[in-house]
Amino acid sequence: MLKILIPTLFLLPTTWLTSSKWLWPTALTQSMLIALGSITWLNNTTDTGWTALNSYIGTDPLSTPLLVLSCWLLPLMLLASQNHLSSEPINRQRMYITLLATLQLFLILAFGATEMIMFYVMFEATLIPTLLVITRWGNQTERLNAGTYFLFYTLAGSLPLLVALLMLQNNTGTLSLLIIPYAKPLLLMPFGSKIWWAACMIAFLVKMPLYGMHLWLPKAHVEAPVAGSMVLAAVLLKLGGYGMMRLMIVLDPLSKEMVYPFIVLALWGVIMTGSICLRQTDLKSLIAYSSVSHMGLVAGGILIQTPWGFTGALILMIAHGLASSALFCLANTNYERTHSRTMLLARGLQIALPLMTTWWFIASLANLALPPLPNLMGELMILTSLFNWSAWTLILTGIGTLITAAYSLYMFLMSQRGPLPQHMLALPPSYTREHLLMALHLIPLLLIILKPALLWGWFAC
Amino acid sequence: MADYREAPLATRPKTLDPNEYFNLSPDYRRAEAERAALRAGLKRQYQLQLNNPHRKELIEDPALNRWVYARANPYNHFKATKKTSLLGALFGVAPLFILYYVFKTDRVRSFNWMCAGLWVC
Repeated sequence: MLKILIPTLFLLPTTWLTSSKWLWPTALTQSMLIALGSITWLNNTTDTGWTALNSYIGTDPLSTPLLVLSCWLLPLMLLASQNHLSSEPINRQRMYITLLATLQLFLILAFGATEMIMFYVMFEATLIPTLLVITRWGNQTERLNAGTYFLFYTLAGSLPLLVALLMLQNNTGTLSLLIIPYAKPLLLMPFGSKIWWAACMIAFLVKMPLYGMHLWLPKAHVEAPVAGSMVLAAVLLKLGGYGMMRLMIVLDPLSKEMVYPFIVLALWGVIMTGSICLRQTDLKSLIAYSSVSHMGLVAGGILIQTPWGFTGALILMIAHGLASSALFCLANTNYERTHSRTMLLARGLQIALPLMTTWWFIASLANLALPPLPNLMGELMILTSLFNWSAWTLILTGIGTLITAAYSLYMFLMSQRGPLPQHMLALPPSYTREHLLMALHLIPLLLIILKPALLWGWFAC
Repeated sequence: MADYREAPLATRPKTLDPNEYFNLSPDYRRAEAERAALRAGLKRQYQLQLNNPHRKELIEDPALNRWVYARANPYNHFKATKKTSLLGALFGVAPLFILYYVFKTDRVRSFNWMCAGLWVC
């Protein structure tokens, strides 16, 4: 773990001490080496499950895919931001890289934490660099509103979590994830225990986000610069899912009754946000709502607490992280050329930028869960375990899958096919950097097809 | 060029009907001329921008900007009328209760079947 943490920590002096000519290549190389080093975490050899274990941090098959995803994302974020930051003063560029690196550090500590309070502190700590990135480097005036929504929705949701964790600590004496599965359950009065259950879950449900509490997400994703959108969509949403999966163990006998409203909200949210996607005019907003839709399915998979549900949720989280981040990068390539997110203005790009169309095509297919991509694998596992939970969910998830396919194809056809706007002149051709960025997103997604057992979490059988 | 004659039974639209345009008042014609001048000015501005050799960016369309802003900020102008309340209740509130009822009944029923030994897998 230290092999990865110390280089990440030292990315901060690196950005401030390198000369401006070598800033981006150095930061990129160092983060890429960290990412390649983090892949070694996928090798979980111990029988007890926890690898690289010390008093504070450890990895297990649940957290390793998410850790690798967050480490993999940092070089991609730097690649994506290089162009729009090139016109800024050098110290602002350094500050940006510093914020991304500290976010990475907090994310590694969050996913690797074995103590729930450490996870909570890191969960909250990731809000700060993201807030700074959204409000300081966003492009429109609405970024302040977006930052406020983002910060306060998540904070308001997670304050009850702190209280709940402290109650658990008081009762059980420990909050270590190694011990908690074996501790005796929390005995509270009936209504109090329901409130305690809700307090534990609400923070993560707001983060995921669940349909009723999702208003912060479209704003934050749309107003953030590309690296902010990427990390939000790919990793920060998954912090919510990961937290839920970890805490489900402690919440057990209560969950049978308490999950119903949230599963209903999650599944209805899949359909509602999918339908909203079909009516969006703003490209990033469409991708943001599709994130809510997929995360609703993940929330449904986690809340039913079956092995296949958890496995499907984990696979879908990773696959959606890569695919959604790829789509945001593609939307950014459009934005850098036309300075507008309106889909109508950036139509017919297949004629102008045919190679980028390949990446648009693969990313749209990933979003609509085409077999044999892992997106489909995760969705199918969640669908079948939800069907086992109650047969009627199939109607909702089936319609949801249909709408997902509809809006993914709509996004592809709107941006690539059709007539080019006639007044569009100077479209720079696709840079190699952009092709590299898309390749680094989508090639891992394609490679996961060959060994999905890496992502199966605890139930790799 | 062939001499254009319209089809014998075709009717002309109102604006091309010769009986109509000699009925127009001078005020109306003046207003029409002003509006045509405004339109021509806008078209000239667009053509100037379109053919400007130093232009690199897209031509900004203020109508498009207004439309996009309106589509992105519906809640600022939201009013709770009967129709919007009905739609909200129908799509936002009622499905939650209906689905809760459906899932709960189904699960309770299958649990009871399982307890009674009637559940055939």
